[in-house]
Amino acid sequence: MRLLTHNMLSSNIKGVTNGFPLLIEVEKVVEKQVDFNEDFLRNMFPKIEWKALVEASRTMGYTELPENAESSMLDSDEFLGKFHHALVELHLEEGALVCPETGRKFPVNKGIPNMLLHEDEV
Amino acid sequence: MVGSCSSCKSGTTLQRAPGHPTFISRVQIIGRNEPVVQVLSSAGSDWTKDFGTGIRIRKRRYITAVSGSGGGRRMRTTVNAAATETLQKGIAEFYDESSGIWENIWGDHMHHGFYEPDSSVSLSDHRSAQIRMIEEALRFASVSDDPMQKPGQIVDVGCGIGGSSRYLARKYEARSQGITLSPVQAQRAQALAAAQGLDDKVSFQVADALNQPFQDGQFDLVWSMESGEHMPDKSKFVNELARVAAPGGTIIIVTWCHRNLSPTEESLRPEEKELLNKICDAFYLPAWCSTADYVKLLESLSLQDIKAADWSAYVAPFWPAVIKSALTWKGIASLLRSGWKTIKGALAMPFMIEGYKKGLIKFAIITCRKPVS
Repeated sequence: MRLLTHNMLSSNIKGVTNGFPLLIEVEKVVEKQVDFNEDFLRNMFPKIEWKALVEASRTMGYTELPENAESSMLDSDEFLGKFHHALVELHLEEGALVCPETGRKFPVNKGIPNMLLHEDEV
Repeated sequence: MVGSCSSCKSGTTLQRAPGHPTFISRVQIIGRNEPVVQVLSSAGSDWTKDFGTGIRIRKRRYITAVSGSGGGRRMRTTVNAAATETLQKGIAEFYDESSGIWENIWGDHMHHGFYEPDSSVSLSDHRSAQIRMIEEALRFASVSDDPMQKPGQIVDVGCGIGGSSRYLARKYEARSQGITLSPVQAQRAQALAAAQGLDDKVSFQVADALNQPFQDGQFDLVWSMESGEHMPDKSKFVNELARVAAPGGTIIIVTWCHRNLSPTEESLRPEEKELLNKICDAFYLPAWCSTADYVKLLESLSLQDIKAADWSAYVAPFWPAVIKSALTWKGIASLLRSGWKTIKGALAMPFMIEGYKKGLIKFAIITCRKPVS
């Protein structure tokens, strides 16, 4: 699971008012090289919840992202490189995503999160 | 008022359905504000005992619900979470078991092909027909190719092994998220994406289309290709599609429906329901609805540019072709190696042909746009 995906996922357990962002429990992180695409990064930037991305990347062991970001930073190659790395090159292979309100864990196996709710969570 | 069982027309007592020695139905009142009768029909391999009457009944596998009170037919809605969970488990297991054999013979698109009416096709034509189905659906919904307007984020609801996700991601140079109930499918979908160099463009989650794990308004294109028939609560299903669609985004639903009812009809005819029940049992489908029902749901959510069409004439060669492929040596050997769920599904295929021939089953496309504000 890439952090791009993590940035879109939320816990929709019944009664939860804010299920985003999901906390991350890491068991195995893998880094996969991905071709750099500046247009994609520029398009995605306004849609990304930055704090969630920073927090998630730190949990995954990457601490290079600045705490805050604004669109002018997209002119910096250095920033783009870090943004790219955090967004699409870090993969959670094994671990869990955790609902920030209930603590319920959604397992991640072989990079695939299982977001199915139980009977009593619907 | 008491509703009637979809098969045996029983009342509120358990009884053996006439002509169906292994099929038992039961009716109970479940509504809160108004009497809504839930009809449970169960067929399957799990037996349990009803302690009230001592009659052995098969465990509930799926639900069909009919409205109990007067005032015309109501939209079939889902019932309890336990039954839904059972259905979803069945769906997941069916696809866990069957996906491999399908892919082996048909490839990575698990949907009907789009053919010229009355054409005769050979097995090699089917893959291009399946791709044509995707293209025709996009065209019907007027999805733009223009670089400024084409979709950037796509969700594939009921993604199978990701055929549509990968195709759409490649076509629009977009990112696609796919969701499926089947862990086996999700893994296979991701593996195929990696093998095709699309690992960074598509990702897959095991998730429920009725409770999509996404925040509101994320997707420019919301794609449901032949998954709607698995959804036990059409209203919730459509609600979720609309919720995750971005303002101005497009929703495309291609699904199996039953024929629209005439204004005087409360429901399908008994023999029609009987045929659909056989199909439901084999393919892990809940109650069917009509194309008109989908249109009504979309209208109720104030979605715009709603279009619907009956494409049954364009898919006619499909089931005969699937049956033919199953009867080859490769097909039979694969079926024997697969499992009972797959075989049962295969045995139900003639019912699909019968349903289409009788004008009962419709291959429907319904599309719309989410308002910008």
